[in-house]
Amino acid sequence: MSKQYLSCGSADNAHPTDIYGLAVTDKFCFSASGSSSLKVHSTLDPEFPLIQSIDDAHKLGCHHVVTNLRGSRAASIGFAGEIAIWSCHDNVWSKDRTASVNPTGSAGIWAIALSADGQYLAGVSQDGHVKVWDLNANGEEIRDYETKGSFGTCIDLSADGRFLASGHENGSVYIFSTETGRMPFSLSGLVKPVRAVAFSPGGKFLAAAGDSKVIVLYDTSSGEQVANLSGHAAWIMSLSWSNTGEYLLSGSFDGKVKVWSIDTRACVATHSETEKSIWSVRWLPKIGRSEGFATAGASRSISFYREATGG
Amino acid sequence: MSPTLDSISAAPSESRVKDYIANTLATVLIEVSSPDGRPSIKIKARPKKVSAQFISPESGALETQASGVDITYTWPGKDFYEAWRFTVAMRVLSAIADAVDKGVVISKRDIYYSDPAIFGSQRIVDGLVDDFAFTIGVNRSALNVGAAAKGLVTGCFHWKIRGQTMADDAHFLNPDTLISRSQDIQEMEVSDIDWVLILEKEAVYRRLAGMRYHIRSAAGLGILVTGKGYPDLNTRAFIRRLYDESKSRQSTRRLRFYALVDGDPDGIAIMATYKYGSLAYAHENSTLNCPEIHWLGLRTSDIVTGVDRIGNDSLVTLTKRDRGKILAMLSNNPVWALNGPEPEGRAELLQMLMLNVKAEMQILYDGDGGLVRWLDRRMTYLP
Repeated sequence: MSKQYLSCGSADNAHPTDIYGLAVTDKFCFSASGSSSLKVHSTLDPEFPLIQSIDDAHKLGCHHVVTNLRGSRAASIGFAGEIAIWSCHDNVWSKDRTASVNPTGSAGIWAIALSADGQYLAGVSQDGHVKVWDLNANGEEIRDYETKGSFGTCIDLSADGRFLASGHENGSVYIFSTETGRMPFSLSGLVKPVRAVAFSPGGKFLAAAGDSKVIVLYDTSSGEQVANLSGHAAWIMSLSWSNTGEYLLSGSFDGKVKVWSIDTRACVATHSETEKSIWSVRWLPKIGRSEGFATAGASRSISFYREATGG
Repeated sequence: MSPTLDSISAAPSESRVKDYIANTLATVLIEVSSPDGRPSIKIKARPKKVSAQFISPESGALETQASGVDITYTWPGKDFYEAWRFTVAMRVLSAIADAVDKGVVISKRDIYYSDPAIFGSQRIVDGLVDDFAFTIGVNRSALNVGAAAKGLVTGCFHWKIRGQTMADDAHFLNPDTLISRSQDIQEMEVSDIDWVLILEKEAVYRRLAGMRYHIRSAAGLGILVTGKGYPDLNTRAFIRRLYDESKSRQSTRRLRFYALVDGDPDGIAIMATYKYGSLAYAHENSTLNCPEIHWLGLRTSDIVTGVDRIGNDSLVTLTKRDRGKILAMLSNNPVWALNGPEPEGRAELLQMLMLNVKAEMQILYDGDGGLVRWLDRRMTYLP
């Protein structure tokens, strides 16, 4: 069964350079790029208008931006390694003065994730450490897991906050219990660098993908690989689960975007509007029964898609 | 205002150097021979502030707005340090005077080893030589102080080198021809060639020279040049001379300049050294840069997406030094600023950070049709 998603708008040349990161809440779509400002577009309005530009957020540009599930907090990390925490008041985002991360402990952090309530920030470092900070306690470092030292490229927190997963350049994928601080089991990794990891909304699966061009699904209760989704012809840079967990979205370096059915383990839609690399893909909030997603990358624009409603 | 330099014809800078030396030494002599004389030497030290650098809209070169700082060293001076500074400055200047007088080229190393005890370190000599060049407003080579020739050239051109009676054509096929000092190249004939290919790596240069790529290229006849990594001033001056020759041609017959460098931070910095100049010699860049260089590659994205049908297994992980170098390039050099002249270079640097990979030239050897086919395609396709 294939599904159809129609282009429903775009923010053309939203940034003057490649867009490396997207983060979506029920109201906002953040984008981060090789320029110093973060852009905020509205996801409520079908035209996706730009509603805020946070200038001078990161001097050399920003590669990861994340939000919490509630949409109250955002975090971003710049190329120079600095982490910024943002909060929303009356639909305007600004530096969160109540939250901070100790800069010495966060040196060398590359990818970040926020817990659903926004209290905890997790990060994986270039030398393979996985750390957690409590943003409500002056950014105190409360966890430091050491792995084998391979560059940490991506990280995700499960929606219930119980598990952390990280992906690394040597192909390793780790999963940690935030309660015990232990690895419940070791996962058989990928053979090439991992570029994206993502927990399904219910926490049943962990998806991982990267240069091996395959998406691997792990069962989080056993650590077993339960599926291999193949079809991409280039490095997979980003993954995102739909709100219900029925679909997985992936974007690759050759500009292709794919939607996968978790039920049938098959690709149900492929988009190839651009040949320029896709750095980030994110599902949009569900409006009625229709689901949609946003993609961005070297085209410097954000593209929005909505499911075609049968009629 | 940076001084307007003339590296093309040797005469003006030569007389400027001689005048400066004669005047300075004469003033010192007069002071020394008078009973209460206080001999002194005035130097304009090169500006050290990096933030004042910008890309000049006229020359397309990396230039500096900061003028030098005037420093005067007097003998015996207020303390031992000043007396010593005066002495070493005089020693360096007399070594330069001697070299200019005899018409020989000496190295900074020669000067230092003439009396290591007084100079203390090589850096003192290097700094003074560059400061003298800056004070007089000439290239360092005009002081007859040079490093040993480093760059190599081969190709379809003729030149006449000072001191050699015959026009030298040996470099037509000889890949070992060293690039002479700009002042020593008396004549140059490049009317047969269409392109100049600058190579970062000597190994790649030798490979192409061995295959006579300068004759057999699909893009026509050309010249192969390597500066063996970061180019010295002579190699940059040679490229600039070709660029000036090119500017005097009709627009349809202009030379095309290409650079083939590694897909790593050093490769991109080397390409920019030819195109815009270096931070260390910001005051000389406007006479050494070649703004028309096309960057052939390597680009990591071409390899990752398989545009070149080269296996991307040959990509190499960035080292800590590479990542640090990229961040320094992005933060300090206006060439890669957000609104700077090299958005493509900036995007490539950021992408290296994102993917944590670099691509070295050896990758091309194994590609479809190898290096020659790759170059033919790039050089005939690009304008």
